[in-house]
Amino acid sequence: MNNTIVWVVVALLAIGGLWWLATSGSGGTPVQTEGPFKIGVIAPLTGDGAIYGEPMRNVLVIAAEELNAMDAATTDDIELVIEDGKCDGTGGASAAQKLVNVDKVQAILGGFCSGETIPSVPIAAAGKVVLFSPSASSPALTGISPYFFRNYPSDSKQGEVLADVANKKGYKTIAFLTEQTDYATGLYNSFKTSFEALGGTVTNEEFPTANTDFRSTITKVKAAAPDAVFISTQTPQAAERILKQMSELGYKPQLFVSDVTMGEPELLMKNKALLEGAIGAEFVPDTANAKLSALMAKYKAKYGKDMPYIGYMSTTYDAAYAIVDGIKAVGYSGEALAAWSRTIANWEGASGATTIGANGDRVSGHKAEIVKDGKATLLTL
Amino acid sequence: MEYLVHTVVLVSIYAVQAMSLNLLIGETGLVSVAQAAFAGIGAYAAVVLMTIMGVNFFVASLIGALAAGTVAFIVGIIFLPLRQVYYILGTVGFNVIAWSVFLNWNEVTKGSLGIAGIPRPVVFGYALSENAAFLVLCLVSVACVYGISALITRSSLGRVLHAIREDEDAVAVFGYATTHYKVFIFVVAAFIAGYAGALFASYLSYISPTNYIVPESIFALSIVILGGLGSAHGAIVAAFLLVVLPEVLRFVGFPSELAGHLRLMSYGLILIFFMLYLPKGLFGKFRI
Amino acid sequence: MEVIIQIALNALVAGSIYALITLGFNLLYSTTRFFDLSYGAIAAVGGYIVYCLYNLLGLNLYAAIVLGILGAGALGFSCEKLIYRQLRARKASSAVLLIASLGVLLVIQSALAILFTSQFHIITRDLSAERVFTIFGGTITEVQAIIFLSAITIMLALGALLKFTRFGKAVQAIADDEEVANVVGINSEKMIGIVYFIGAAIAGAAGIATAFDTGIMPTLGLAILLKGVIAAIVGGIGNVVGGVLGAFVLAAIENTGAWFFSAEWRDVIAFLVLIAFLLLRPRGILPK
Repeated sequence: MNNTIVWVVVALLAIGGLWWLATSGSGGTPVQTEGPFKIGVIAPLTGDGAIYGEPMRNVLVIAAEELNAMDAATTDDIELVIEDGKCDGTGGASAAQKLVNVDKVQAILGGFCSGETIPSVPIAAAGKVVLFSPSASSPALTGISPYFFRNYPSDSKQGEVLADVANKKGYKTIAFLTEQTDYATGLYNSFKTSFEALGGTVTNEEFPTANTDFRSTITKVKAAAPDAVFISTQTPQAAERILKQMSELGYKPQLFVSDVTMGEPELLMKNKALLEGAIGAEFVPDTANAKLSALMAKYKAKYGKDMPYIGYMSTTYDAAYAIVDGIKAVGYSGEALAAWSRTIANWEGASGATTIGANGDRVSGHKAEIVKDGKATLLTL
Repeated sequence: MEYLVHTVVLVSIYAVQAMSLNLLIGETGLVSVAQAAFAGIGAYAAVVLMTIMGVNFFVASLIGALAAGTVAFIVGIIFLPLRQVYYILGTVGFNVIAWSVFLNWNEVTKGSLGIAGIPRPVVFGYALSENAAFLVLCLVSVACVYGISALITRSSLGRVLHAIREDEDAVAVFGYATTHYKVFIFVVAAFIAGYAGALFASYLSYISPTNYIVPESIFALSIVILGGLGSAHGAIVAAFLLVVLPEVLRFVGFPSELAGHLRLMSYGLILIFFMLYLPKGLFGKFRI
Repeated sequence: MEVIIQIALNALVAGSIYALITLGFNLLYSTTRFFDLSYGAIAAVGGYIVYCLYNLLGLNLYAAIVLGILGAGALGFSCEKLIYRQLRARKASSAVLLIASLGVLLVIQSALAILFTSQFHIITRDLSAERVFTIFGGTITEVQAIIFLSAITIMLALGALLKFTRFGKAVQAIADDEEVANVVGINSEKMIGIVYFIGAAIAGAAGIATAFDTGIMPTLGLAILLKGVIAAIVGGIGNVVGGVLGAFVLAAIENTGAWFFSAEWRDVIAFLVLIAFLLLRPRGILPK
């Protein structure tokens, strides 16, 4: 019993000590006026999202190098502090905690996935740090906080565009194969809402990410004979697996795919027979854009491989440049940058002209595309 | 400073969960690979109450813990009478089922989208939004659970549990309904784990099913093995080591791609090493 | 009608892979009497060796497969020799061995993730060149047919080995009673090592089959092993023929379940089957 009392006393002393330390720490910190300015980055460096996180980091490194090389002075340089968001809630929250409270950054670029971004928002907002995502597309992020904005459009646009196309093409029943992740489910939800409003019906077969055997599910969908099948997966590899099994089972319906699949030129080429005529909607920048083609060339030269996910990487590159513009305009302060973000209008970048709306979303959306001969081409109805 | 607070919060939550598992494995000899599932039940129940019905944290977490305990009661009655290895498999199976339910039951848990915007606890009108304030709650929780654990261990109930761990058949011969005791401690452990889950959810302000997969239960198991069976303070120390180590790796400049996998690998090595050479763990008094 | 045939064919293919895992698992369990949870990870290793040699290094496919099987066998053999043998010599309880094998599982999985990233990989071949057979209206590909036939062949070969050779008889003797077997001059240590090699090699074959069929990722190990264990328990643990039967039964239930319900509940269905058997008929369909 004595032992327990000792422990309780120790615990109370520890609590008191920590409280005193914690509350005596932060006074008011003056706004930093000279560089190098630390810019936090939350990217999925491990886990399933690493296929996106790695190129995202690569692109930001290129952008930072370019920005810092613009003039010899270091007073406007930026320094990237990169944390692993793991594409999930706990990872994102931990990364945000560290960046906001330890590194004391005023701006964070990221997360890449909606899963690591959503829980980071309250942490950034509490620390008055602006969170700027180049790719998180969950509709749940629209208007979530004045401290959050993104230069990538919300998935609700993707769902709307595709529902409209499906309706115009006369499809009445669409069967979904949806991976249970926030992105894929979000896309399903937005398509369903739009499509049902237009009078169509949607069925859904959900599956956890670890699922690899779709045969019986495909058999079930095939037997129901829908007008088209929508494959909504988190990664193009998962979509490829489903396509392969569909073809093995001799099922070739009209396909709709999510933008992660549409945005993978290698995959489209490799599976062109299966994907001929598949419809998707992408936020796709113009590859003739000078900044974008320069970036792609530089990426290839520095890393020895083609830059993947052009859509996401163009916005990532823009994010670095945009945030530096913001710091030049209003100073290195999260609060000021958050207010400034809503004033971004027709800002020219690698991803085209960017305008941020009052709800923090990029104003402009996805364009419908169709796969012809292994390539994604704009769809005209 | 804030970061230190963040780390200590994580350590204390994992310590609470580990102490609950210690009651099962250390005191009673019941290996369970399902603590994460019970934490999840407690968390989701509490979170739904807090976000949809605006119930305050303390009531919500209590109900969440009760929910976890109730489910544990049913699960316990089904699995505990089985032979040890089958019972362990049963707990793994239960964890998978619980996780699937979290993932699939979109109406309540919102599935993979997770639930965001979970509020912090409010104490006498004062919200614990400051992490340091939340830390106080965590440390108080650790102290309470430690106290409960000590109470159980030193009581006559504890003696029966220890006896069950050593030789269940002998205890049964003496007329003790061993299954009743096992179910009881299983429920208590789940109750505590459920509370830990609710605490964690409120801290992160966001939960999703990925927090409650089988490897999380294995993580809880490795904390107890490291800390030693039958030792509540061992569980606290081990939680500290296993939570802080990966954070230290972050600073040492390990390539981040490897950090996550190396962490898992180190848990595996700990399990192997301790089973081979230190089955009692760091502070344990008993071996499985 | 066509649908039923297709589902049956799907179940046959999935069942073949489960059957291989169950075969090896039963073989190991009957001689060593413990649940080796790392067994599934060894399957993944087999698949990755072939992926590495064939896809990444361009080795001849058949050579890669042989090396994959041998590599998996060697890995299993080493684990047995380095870790499990010592634990068994100390008469450690089956729970200890299970926890140690959990550790091995984590280590192997993390190592694979570090080497190959945690993405799915599939052993690529030209899809358009693949032949597809139509049987009574259901389709099955050439690769799937090969997997099915290989599984049957391995099963028959193993059965013959156990029943008709001296080696097989010695293994059965150890399975019956290790001490007595030692007394009559059978070197059980050496035999168990060989059995482990064979069992692990079979796991490697299963992993390779999976790599061809649906693709592999590092965390495949636990998932597929759990299915193998469920199949073993359903069919009758320790019974080689029963295990194979259990594998096909499990695959049939899963695939039918996917038809009636949704793929998201697949794991839940599998574990509910496990629970049902554990409670109602723990000795399985064909008790030993």
